[in-house]
Amino acid sequence: MEHRHLLPDEIDQLLDGEAGFGVAPLQAHVENCPSCRAELAQARQVVSALERLPHFAPAPRFRERVMSQVQVFEPWHVSALDTVKQWIPASRPARAMALAATSVFALIVSVFAVWMAVRLDAFLFFFDLAGQRVRSAVFDSVGSAIANTFGSAAVEALRTGGMTAAVGISGFLILVVLAAFGLRALVATARRRRTS
Amino acid sequence: MAPSLDLANLPDADVVTLAQQGREAAFRELLRRYERPVFSLIFRMVRDREISEDLAQDTFIKVLNHIDRYRPEFKLSSWLFKIANNVAIDHLRKRQLDTVSIDGSPHAATAAEVEATSFDLAARQESALDEMEARELGSAIEQAIARLRPEYRSCIMLRHVEGRSYEEIAATLDLPLGTVKTYIHRARHELREALERVKGPG
Repeated sequence: MEHRHLLPDEIDQLLDGEAGFGVAPLQAHVENCPSCRAELAQARQVVSALERLPHFAPAPRFRERVMSQVQVFEPWHVSALDTVKQWIPASRPARAMALAATSVFALIVSVFAVWMAVRLDAFLFFFDLAGQRVRSAVFDSVGSAIANTFGSAAVEALRTGGMTAAVGISGFLILVVLAAFGLRALVATARRRRTS
Repeated sequence: MAPSLDLANLPDADVVTLAQQGREAAFRELLRRYERPVFSLIFRMVRDREISEDLAQDTFIKVLNHIDRYRPEFKLSSWLFKIANNVAIDHLRKRQLDTVSIDGSPHAATAAEVEATSFDLAARQESALDEMEARELGSAIEQAIARLRPEYRSCIMLRHVEGRSYEEIAATLDLPLGTVKTYIHRARHELREALERVKGPG
């Protein structure tokens, strides 16, 4: 080792800070050989100049440009979980209080549900009563609206046609609304696919 | 996005998992972490800011749109650098094909026209490069890097700017380990010679 200068590979080994068998004699040689020491110093200058090189930054709108072309698909359970997490308080005492309040509320609801189950006949009676009230209120308001628009003959025709006609008309209206929303969703999806 | 998630402190693998779950903030975090290293690698390869931004954009779009294909045994940064290097090398190859006309326009009918068109093109490229170098790549080491072969350039930058091991570079660039070592050795040697020439004798 002492009779010759370092080979390029050996300089690289020292530059890369390799350790292990065979490196110690190289280091010993460098200490005693001014020529190899100078060569290693020059090589280290290059490496340190490279290591000082900065990172360049792209334009400020770079991230937005990339994100506008990245398809992010968030599954429903992830967004649902995030929505729930948003309602959970950050601090531990607040979380404990929220848990206690939720537990009390759940307990009250459970007791009420059990009571209702025990008193099922009373519940059905009140439910039926409330249903009748709502139904008559809806019929009155819809009837007056139809009478104002089409005249009282239309109301009479509807009454004689009975519930079948009312259900048929409501179903038709619901289908029209759903079809409109469905078409709108299809158009929006197609537009998103075209732009992505 | 849950506000409680502190993405900046998570390792890459966890951020990737969140991105695979479709969290937009995780995609943005990956972009924030790697936009500069990826852009710098491409910029030093291509040496044109506008083209480099387009290529870096292509790199991220490819990676982020296929994040579900990410294999955790491979570093995300290695995957990004691999694609960045590929798009830069592809661009340089195309540019090399395009610059065949540096030798003169194919439509030139006479020797004088050939000379005139080749001169114009070369001059235009040189002035654009000069301007850019003066602004951002002006240092001697940057100019020396620009004169390296592209494959030396990507190896030397991954080794010394990004601090990657020889094995990682070999895996990233799909090159044998021995080839990577040779490229880096030659690149260091060429850079040293270039810097010595700049310093001059003595």
